[in-house]
Amino acid sequence: MEKVGKSRRRFIEAVAFLIASVSLLWKFFVPRISEKKPLLRVAKADIPAAGALVFRKSRVAIVKKGDEIYALSLVCTHLGCTVNVTTRELICPCHGSIFGRRGEVSRGPADRPLERLQVEEQGEFIVVLS
Amino acid sequence: MFKEFLEHVFPRLILEKNLRIRYTFCLGGLAFTAFMLLVASGVLLLFYYQPCPEKAFESILFLESSVPGGRFVRSLHRLSSHVLLVFIFLHTLRVILTGAYRKPRELNWVIGFLILCACVFGAYTGYLLPMDQLAFWGTHTGIELINTAPFGEMIGRFLVPDEVGRPVSLLRFYTLHIAVIPLTIAILCFLHFYRIRQDKGVLPYL
Repeated sequence: MEKVGKSRRRFIEAVAFLIASVSLLWKFFVPRISEKKPLLRVAKADIPAAGALVFRKSRVAIVKKGDEIYALSLVCTHLGCTVNVTTRELICPCHGSIFGRRGEVSRGPADRPLERLQVEEQGEFIVVLS
Repeated sequence: MFKEFLEHVFPRLILEKNLRIRYTFCLGGLAFTAFMLLVASGVLLLFYYQPCPEKAFESILFLESSVPGGRFVRSLHRLSSHVLLVFIFLHTLRVILTGAYRKPRELNWVIGFLILCACVFGAYTGYLLPMDQLAFWGTHTGIELINTAPFGEMIGRFLVPDEVGRPVSLLRFYTLHIAVIPLTIAILCFLHFYRIRQDKGVLPYL
């Protein structure tokens, strides 16, 4: 009787272990393939020559510097507040991190530059992908 | 012969006093456990790693950002590689300090030393695979170091036929790292365990 109980317990343990490890492995083998969705569509002419176009709701700034156009995510890399865009730099209101216009950190506590979003040119328009 | 080999690797009986933790501190066993962890996590990493210079770093970023548990598996692989080397060196130290390399165990000492070398070489070849700056320059330094050794230029030309971080050398490091070296270590390990039993127990001198 005791022997039967023990082997049943071991069997249940083995099955539980098997299910747990297979489901963990299954998660590992199914990566999140992120499909890039268009976030914004802006006419090129709308972007000021030496300035930035700020979209506070989608938390993106489209910056033009010379011929280069890039999109900075306005999510602070410290704790995720939305940074304010001033004429010279980007300042986080929460803890005072300051970023340069290219997104680089010029004062902490943030330690990584602002993320750059992928930009696609479609004729006269600029599409920001998220 | 094969049956005899298995019976030595998995013996039916062992001496209880040989299992006392103070006897060997189980350092070899811990090192082998780290090796098994390396194999398991390494096989999982194989599913996502791409061994060509343009894709390698990208595939690791993908693994870390988009695969659930990807960062954990990679960290596990890295950490257990460190742990393996630490345990192997401690094990070697223990063998030296207790005189377990002496007769009749000289052959096992040599096998153990080969395992140590293979593990260091495995760690070195794995270093290049992420293809980040640290990997690239670390491998560069290593190759320069090998070049100064006797026959070093030959070894260097075998390891790096083109240049560090170019397709052929990366592929070569990859093949060594995932197939040749682990297989060598595994075979040597089982020989090592076989010899322990052939030499009747763990330590004669304590």
